[in-house]
Amino acid sequence: MSTNSSTGSPAGATSTATTLSREQVATRVNASLRRRHRQEIIFKGMGIGATVVGLAFVAILFINIFSKGLPAFWQASITLDIYFDPEVIAIPEMPQRLSGESGNDFRQRRVDWENEVGLVNFNRLIQAALAKVIPEAAGHPRDAARMVTSGERIALRRLVIADPSIIGQTRRVTLYTDANIDVWLKGNIDRSLPDGQQMLNSRVREWADRLYEDGTISLRFSTALFQNPDSRSSLASAGLRGAFMGSLYMMLIVLLVAVPLGVASAIYLEEFASRNRLTDLIEVNINNLAAVPSIIFGLLGAAVFINYFKLPFSAPIVGGLVLSLMTLPTVIITTRATLKAIPPSIRHAALGIGASRTQAVFHHVLPLAIPGILTGAIIGMAQALGETAPLLLIGMNAFVASVPSTPFDQSNALPVQIYLWQGNELRNFFEGRTSAAIIVLLALMLSLNGLAIWLRKRFETRW
Amino acid sequence: MNNELDMSRTVAPATEASRGAGTAVPTPQAPTRSAVKPESAARVKMKTENVKVYYGEAEALHGIDMAILENEVISFIGPSGCGKSTFLRCLNRMNDTIDTARVTGTITLDGQDIYDPSLDVVLLRAQVGMVFQKPNPFPKSIFENIAYGPRLHGLASRKADLADIVESSLRRAGLWDEVKDRLHQPGTGLSGGQQQRLCIARAIAVSPEVILMDEPCSALDPIATSIIEELIHELKENFTIVIVTHNMQQAARVSDRTAFFHLGELVELADTGQIFTNPTHKRTEDYITGRYG
Repeated sequence: MSTNSSTGSPAGATSTATTLSREQVATRVNASLRRRHRQEIIFKGMGIGATVVGLAFVAILFINIFSKGLPAFWQASITLDIYFDPEVIAIPEMPQRLSGESGNDFRQRRVDWENEVGLVNFNRLIQAALAKVIPEAAGHPRDAARMVTSGERIALRRLVIADPSIIGQTRRVTLYTDANIDVWLKGNIDRSLPDGQQMLNSRVREWADRLYEDGTISLRFSTALFQNPDSRSSLASAGLRGAFMGSLYMMLIVLLVAVPLGVASAIYLEEFASRNRLTDLIEVNINNLAAVPSIIFGLLGAAVFINYFKLPFSAPIVGGLVLSLMTLPTVIITTRATLKAIPPSIRHAALGIGASRTQAVFHHVLPLAIPGILTGAIIGMAQALGETAPLLLIGMNAFVASVPSTPFDQSNALPVQIYLWQGNELRNFFEGRTSAAIIVLLALMLSLNGLAIWLRKRFETRW
Repeated sequence: MNNELDMSRTVAPATEASRGAGTAVPTPQAPTRSAVKPESAARVKMKTENVKVYYGEAEALHGIDMAILENEVISFIGPSGCGKSTFLRCLNRMNDTIDTARVTGTITLDGQDIYDPSLDVVLLRAQVGMVFQKPNPFPKSIFENIAYGPRLHGLASRKADLADIVESSLRRAGLWDEVKDRLHQPGTGLSGGQQQRLCIARAIAVSPEVILMDEPCSALDPIATSIIEELIHELKENFTIVIVTHNMQQAARVSDRTAFFHLGELVELADTGQIFTNPTHKRTEDYITGRYG
């Protein structure tokens, strides 16, 4: 094309080499134009197609998670009038502090008393209350006991300890039903399956249906999900609290360890270190570290923090340190990129007036870099929040039925909780719970990212 | 080549001939520097001996000997890459910020070696200020831009003193009337020419003795350029000014003496009038008549 249209070619050498007439040029350009437009349309179409496919996958994911997860926030609960029968709750008076008694002695007596309350067979109270709404339940105490999830007797015990005067009274209490009843009522199990394949016997199923119809059992917002730690004996009261607190402690540790370390080393490497073999090597290694599979950090954590430093197993302190190591390269790389993007003219201006290098960095470069550094740190933390693999190697996949009160206590983490629930045997119930946990995790991530955007806007200096 | 180079070193101008042709505005502010005053009588402010700069292995400057006189405007001209900016940055050790750059030879300011390890580079830069090619105000208010230097060096003990320094610096930079009502607005909101004058005001706020200007007008329009040029004339009274420029007319207009650099050598340094009317060296003549560069 270009040779043909070149006017410098000798006229008459060949027909194509001659100077083209104006019309010929126009036709050729038109022809090529059509081809170029077609290519443009094809490329644009492929771009749109790729975007649509990507969005479709995201939409499918979200629809799937929310359709399963949202119903799990509402859990089948039974409202019963419970008579706190003094015959069943045969316990001594709550101890009062005697004059001259030491605080320790009193506390000891108080704990003894609470333990005694714990020995009361609260199931009998539930069975009796159930018998009032379903008369035939009196003859089937085992089936009656299956209506309410086993952990709820602790709720009753808590009521008695909080206020012993309710003994002898009747109280309206809402309790979580057994997880299988929740599954049955939500239709998460095929109702046409024969008895042998049902988790509940036909009697309990029939009771559940009857009570659901008359409103004694209803779907209520599940506070257990947020207030309780994980549970395996009382599935319906399994909650996220332990995992949530574990993740929170780990994020705190990442914030305190990875962010200052990462930002400081990035500032040093970018602004002060001279360029030589050693710093090149460090730079290459940091970049490689960012690409190291996260599970390897877990191995490192197990070897160093647990085996060598003898830190506790399954504890957020170890998890947080491992995640800090993992986040460090991300923080360093984003901070360095931010510092690199600050125009050198700002540094020169400061140096030119007689600021020292440190002053130029701290007075002028860092204030401009803060939005970028914060964004990097928060994105790094969000990444750490969702990390699962390294936690498996330091024992954070253990079943922990308590809420950690310090970072040294055994704990779960949100993503690991999701993994554990996903593997629970009572799939029909925990599928919803898993999705609910995913929603909580996603909400946390979104709020972290939102915070990053807000901070960036807030501290942005325009020039 | 060597011969020529050696000659160039001896061509330090003997007299300041009439600042004729190229100089548009005579400088009433500098009556002491009469046109016939011999150079030896003027005090030498900065002196360089055999200054070489290496970028890694490559030698960018091949031994520059120069004397910069007090209260003169000296301009460096030459084609791109000739080393004039590199040399300028040696004068306040801004080359220190480039890892690969290495400077040899001696440079003195009032007889004091500025590359002496015992000398604090921060002090040097307070004495030898710099204005850059692209206006680079801090993304802070106009007031903060000026106040930063004095505050850094502890020049103002009270707030009122600081305000005085800011005002007088802006006045000397001819910017006061334009910005006095918006001192607390960002300096980056000013026009390019105003920003450059703000940078000049920022430089003079720390009362330097020498001001280095690295192509200060190359990013400005002709009107802003002429304002800055007038400003340079006025500043000459109090400061020694070294200016790098690509614009030969500008060199002719603003400077007392002109140095022509080529390929890392100082080819010729003479009175501006002489350089532009009667250069000694063929290379200088070829450059100023536009044969290359």
